[in-house]
Amino acid sequence: MNKPIDRTAIGVPTPLVDGVEKVTGQAQFSADFYPNDALCGVIFRSPYAHAEILELDLTAARALDGVVAIVSGDDCPHTYGIIPIARNEYPMARDRVRYYGEPVAAIAAIDEKTARKALSLIKMKVKELPAYFTIKDALADDAILLHDDKPGNIERDVHNEFGDVEEGFEKADLVREQTFKCAEICQTHMEPHASLAEWDDERAQLTIRTCSQVPYYVHLMLAHTMELERNQIRVIKPFVGGGFGTRTETLNFELIAGILARAAKGKVAMHLNREETFLTSRTRPYTEITMKIGMTKDGHLTATYCNAVQLGGAYAGYGIVTILYAGALLQGIYDIPAVKYDGIRVNANVPPSGAMRGHGTVDSRHAFECLLDEMAEELGLDPLEVRRRNMLTVPTDTMNGIKIMSYGLDECVDKVELESGWKDKVGQLGPGRGIGFACSQYISGAAKPVNWTGEPHAVVNLKLDFDGSITALTGAADIGQGSSTIVAQTVAEVCGLDIRKVRIIANDSAITPKDNGSYSSRVTMMVGNATIDAANHLRDILLVAASAKLDARPQDIEIVNEMFRVSGGQDEGLPFQEVVEAALVDTGTITVKGTFTCPPEFQGGKHRGGAVGSTMGFSYSAQAVEVSVDPDTGQVRVENVWVAHDCGYAINPLAVEGQIQGSVWMGMGQALSEETRYHKNGMPMFTNMLDYRVPSIVESPPIHTYIVESIDPNGPFGAKEAGECSLSSFIPALVNAIYDATGLRYTELPVTPDRLVEAISKKQHRDRVAAARAAEATGAAE
Amino acid sequence: MTELLPAFSLRHPTSIEEAIAIHGSAPDARYVAGGTDLIVNLRRGIGDPETLVSLNRIEDFQNIADGKDGGLVIGAGVTIANLANDVTIRTRYPALRVAAGEIAGPGHRETGTVGGNLCLDTRCVFYNQSQWWREANHFCLKHQGEICHVAPKGDFCHAAFSGDLAPVFLVLDAEIEIAGPDGTRREPLSALYTGDGMDHLTLKPGELLTGIHVPANTPPAAYEKHRVRGAIDFPLAGVAVALTKDGDKVKTLKIAVTGTNTSPFLVEGLEAFTGSTLGEDDQAKLADIVQKQVSPMKTTLVQPFGRRRIAGAMARRQAVSLLAGG
Amino acid sequence: MSSSEQAPRLLSMTLNGRVRHDAVGDNILLLDYLRETCDLIGTKQGCDGGECGACTVLVDGKSRLSCITLAAECEGKSVETIEALATNGKMSALQRGFHEKLGSQCGYCTPGMIMASEALLRRNSSPSEDEIRDALGGNICRCTGYVKIIEAVQAAAEELS
Ligand SMILES: Cc1cc2nc3c(=O)[nH]c(=O)nc-3n(C[C@H](O)[C@H](O)[C@H](O)COP(=O)(O)OP(=O)(O)OC[C@H]3O[C@@H](n4cnc5c(N)ncnc54)[C@H](O)[C@@H]3O)c2cc1C
Ligand code: SF4
Ligand code: FES
Ligand code: FES
Repeated sequence: MNKPIDRTAIGVPTPLVDGVEKVTGQAQFSADFYPNDALCGVIFRSPYAHAEILELDLTAARALDGVVAIVSGDDCPHTYGIIPIARNEYPMARDRVRYYGEPVAAIAAIDEKTARKALSLIKMKVKELPAYFTIKDALADDAILLHDDKPGNIERDVHNEFGDVEEGFEKADLVREQTFKCAEICQTHMEPHASLAEWDDERAQLTIRTCSQVPYYVHLMLAHTMELERNQIRVIKPFVGGGFGTRTETLNFELIAGILARAAKGKVAMHLNREETFLTSRTRPYTEITMKIGMTKDGHLTATYCNAVQLGGAYAGYGIVTILYAGALLQGIYDIPAVKYDGIRVNANVPPSGAMRGHGTVDSRHAFECLLDEMAEELGLDPLEVRRRNMLTVPTDTMNGIKIMSYGLDECVDKVELESGWKDKVGQLGPGRGIGFACSQYISGAAKPVNWTGEPHAVVNLKLDFDGSITALTGAADIGQGSSTIVAQTVAEVCGLDIRKVRIIANDSAITPKDNGSYSSRVTMMVGNATIDAANHLRDILLVAASAKLDARPQDIEIVNEMFRVSGGQDEGLPFQEVVEAALVDTGTITVKGTFTCPPEFQGGKHRGGAVGSTMGFSYSAQAVEVSVDPDTGQVRVENVWVAHDCGYAINPLAVEGQIQGSVWMGMGQALSEETRYHKNGMPMFTNMLDYRVPSIVESPPIHTYIVESIDPNGPFGAKEAGECSLSSFIPALVNAIYDATGLRYTELPVTPDRLVEAISKKQHRDRVAAARAAEATGAAE
Repeated sequence: MTELLPAFSLRHPTSIEEAIAIHGSAPDARYVAGGTDLIVNLRRGIGDPETLVSLNRIEDFQNIADGKDGGLVIGAGVTIANLANDVTIRTRYPALRVAAGEIAGPGHRETGTVGGNLCLDTRCVFYNQSQWWREANHFCLKHQGEICHVAPKGDFCHAAFSGDLAPVFLVLDAEIEIAGPDGTRREPLSALYTGDGMDHLTLKPGELLTGIHVPANTPPAAYEKHRVRGAIDFPLAGVAVALTKDGDKVKTLKIAVTGTNTSPFLVEGLEAFTGSTLGEDDQAKLADIVQKQVSPMKTTLVQPFGRRRIAGAMARRQAVSLLAGG
Repeated sequence: MSSSEQAPRLLSMTLNGRVRHDAVGDNILLLDYLRETCDLIGTKQGCDGGECGACTVLVDGKSRLSCITLAAECEGKSVETIEALATNGKMSALQRGFHEKLGSQCGYCTPGMIMASEALLRRNSSPSEDEIRDALGGNICRCTGYVKIIEAVQAAAEELS
């Protein structure tokens, strides 16, 4: 497919269609719905890391004036979870609690004060159990099991090998292996979790407004856990204040809100505070990665082996997929003849981890790109050159069965090399300054949804009526990434209209078509394609109507600036409104539908877990990061970032830039300041925004963003992913830059000042000892 | 919908005398100025006062005025932002301005006061947590509990004093003025602190800080703050240095540190550097002295080893730069 | 929690240009007063107290964190929220800047971010990049990486000059 030309509504920087509401304070988020008659919902959380519940005494709380309903694990015997085969979590714990803060019961009361008072009256008797907060402790031989069906406290182990790895390492001139430790990271979207659940007892119907990226999955899980027909439920997603993966699965508070509203026979507003939101975060797990790479002396990769162990947390969540991703995306970026992967996701008594931006792939990419840098240096090769020597030629199939149709990584590398002034900088910036480089890739939507139904991957409806405006109905969850804007642009483009003629109605299960949700960067690819399909249908109807009036064949008619006219003709043509009226005569209100389905050949390899990593297209990113390091304080300052991202085609370049910058910057948080910590008794030590350090604007760098367009034949107008990939390349580029500045290859994340100062002082000590030895040796030789 | 605050009543005296009188008549009263520290703690269930005595309508409390001795009197109610923007402060006491400018974020600086900053509660990761959290963790010595989670064997609270202004005032030899039921007194700032993380101020019930006297001819001074982020974060170590010189040699040297110990404190044993040109050995010695006197504990998630080293390094390099400076 | 109940008192302030009198308890935070009593839901809560800036409003023209400010401390003062910035149905220069430059993605930090920027532009109509960074230091945004927020404020400053 060639790069689209003559575009009017796409390819131009477009402010968000729902942006005015956001900047004027009119946008309503879930917590902004609080009707006067709503009850206040609060959750009683486990004050134990691991314990058997012997008795839960709710009588005193229930007896308190103003308490309307109390529910607990007894009220819901069904487990929930995103992966149908791995649902091992109850909305409220039954029998056993497995982490500090796990929901045990919930209260609906007339006001906050009463609700909190009632909380303090709940009595729980338990038998405490041994609890594990580290990989080592959870895997110990004598460790008790968190889940009886998971021997060894292993949630899932993955082993696969493609090509002959042993042979590959033998062929290599240089083989290196290194272990990396990457801290657990929280999404920390700015909007704390909130839901408003309304139970209509007359009709036995539940309406819930909730801050989800996956309203459809919330719908399914509410039906399942509450034993309701799906048609008794309506899920509405209001404005959502970010998600970054936390909200790509149903979360306990949403289910509890529903259960509580039914018990209270009314409305329950459930607002989690920041601490609770941190505990309900579905983080990027703490991961230990051992990476091994084989390379010839001219820089060709011969094999790689990766061993990843993730501290998954107390329940399955997305875990199976996370551990698969950590291995699946070792391929698809460079040409590596043999790849082996062993991964384990470990159960432990910390909140369950999940699908954070760059799901599963970030830490493996970090390890790979750091080790590659080290090996390039050892071989005296330029790190960019090493990457160039291992580029893919497309179209190609990876060994794990993923088709790649477009590949802009080479162009990304060139662009970053040029713009960053790489050649004049690397190794030449002087003490305390350095530059580093790395690449990454990411999928444009998982080609096989977690909840496989056989239905199309995406559906979009369009309605056109007498008023001449088009209403696009989509279930795609815009959580700030701008997906609604893409739908509007696409319709406008295909139908030759001004974008203001297109209205978006999104995310109300009573109105909009089902959509799997916003995760794995699937929306632009899948919903975009479905939108094109729908818009084409609508366009066809309009062209037929116009052709009757213009007395021409539909295929000879073009739409320019909202005028329908015969191509090449001199006539001014028919205005849009007239064509609409003509089209409505026979049918009345026009509704059309567009769908998109990923063809089976894109749905991944045949091996177990082969669906994970499968996609319609990989995005690519290359990045150079320049830093200064203060050797006294260990403070790393990111001076500049140059990032080139192959997003296929930028339907909305403004949003693409925003997504790239946001992900680069989020990578910086992970690299430099963010981490969760648990006390030795398992208490989460980080559950506030002072101890969990999301970067402030003061230390955040300028980010020079370059869009590379490789035009993917599968993508809508050629578009691919834009919002996750560049997170991964930042982190190794930064760590490589720190090496350039200090001579230290740091293998732990985040590189906080205290850690770096300790490492620098150790290195200084080592250097001094070495110098003294050398001096001694020369002295002796003389 | 935030967690509810305890049901206190808020009073607004317009003079210091009235404030003290109200405080004296209400058994369970607390002073509140900007509230940027106190209200956060109250939201977390730390403290349950029946009366809050707001200091925000006491006008003569909010001025920066010339002192009798040629120095400056800074009212305890002066906001951090006004302190940072004050022309006299900027020109005569630039280190104060640096410290003020690095406190928290702009919203806190517009509201928070000098008095509140000097009286700031001490901080610890086991203490600055919600009620649920502290209860699940069985509380601690400083509030409602029996043991210290930082040093479980001892019976001492190590919570760190983390205000940014105190070390600068200390090296400038500032004095504080205190008013209370028994009248007023003036004493060196260092006398304000007990050295105990639990009960960190020497103020007696009903007493409040009314102002800070900064002497006229203070030595050139500097302040450096270590924190992970460029804003919001409290100091993990904050070091103020004041130095006078005699040619290229040190005449007097003062160093004060915040963020590492239960009190902000003046480093001892610096007389030895009088006459030094701060050569490499003396620099190492200086860093070492500071490192030995700071005692960061595991009251934050940042490791003590690094904070100790960093404090030493910041002291050393500021002293060197003051000696080199004009 | 204290056992003593205290009766609400009449609180008067100028809110978004209009004088209001409401019965408000002494222990009510400005944030809750705005959102619950006055239905001004534009002001957001992002943290458990003073750590994120989402709740930033103006009090007497200066930026202030409404989640750690007692409503009763605003007696007689002028309070402004995001809802007050648009005039005659048109967005203010800052709002337009944030919208057109994509200084707002999910929009949750946006009201606080814009109010902190408003406080800046009122005292300094042509801030440098460093001054913008300094003025927004207490406002966390998790979406944008701040690059376009700086551009948005610069665009607004330019429009106003
Ligand atoms: C997220 C966050 C980050 C912060 N970062 C920093 C930082 O980096 N550096 C820093 O120094 N501070 C920081 N602070 C703390 C605080 O904002 C400032 O220290 C501020 O100066 C405190 O002043 P205040 O007037 O608001 O104090 P208040 O909260 O009003 O009072 C604090 C304490 O002092 C007492 N008090 C107040 N005034 C007097 C007086 N005149 N006499 C006697 N007692 C008095 C009060 O009773 C209370 O116990 C931060 C706070 C938050 C929430
Ligand atoms: S140092 Fe010990 S006693 Fe003091 S606040 Fe921390 S845990 Fe509590
Ligand atoms: S909500 Fe006020 S600072 Fe976070
Ligand atoms: S736009 Fe989402 S937090 Fe700033």
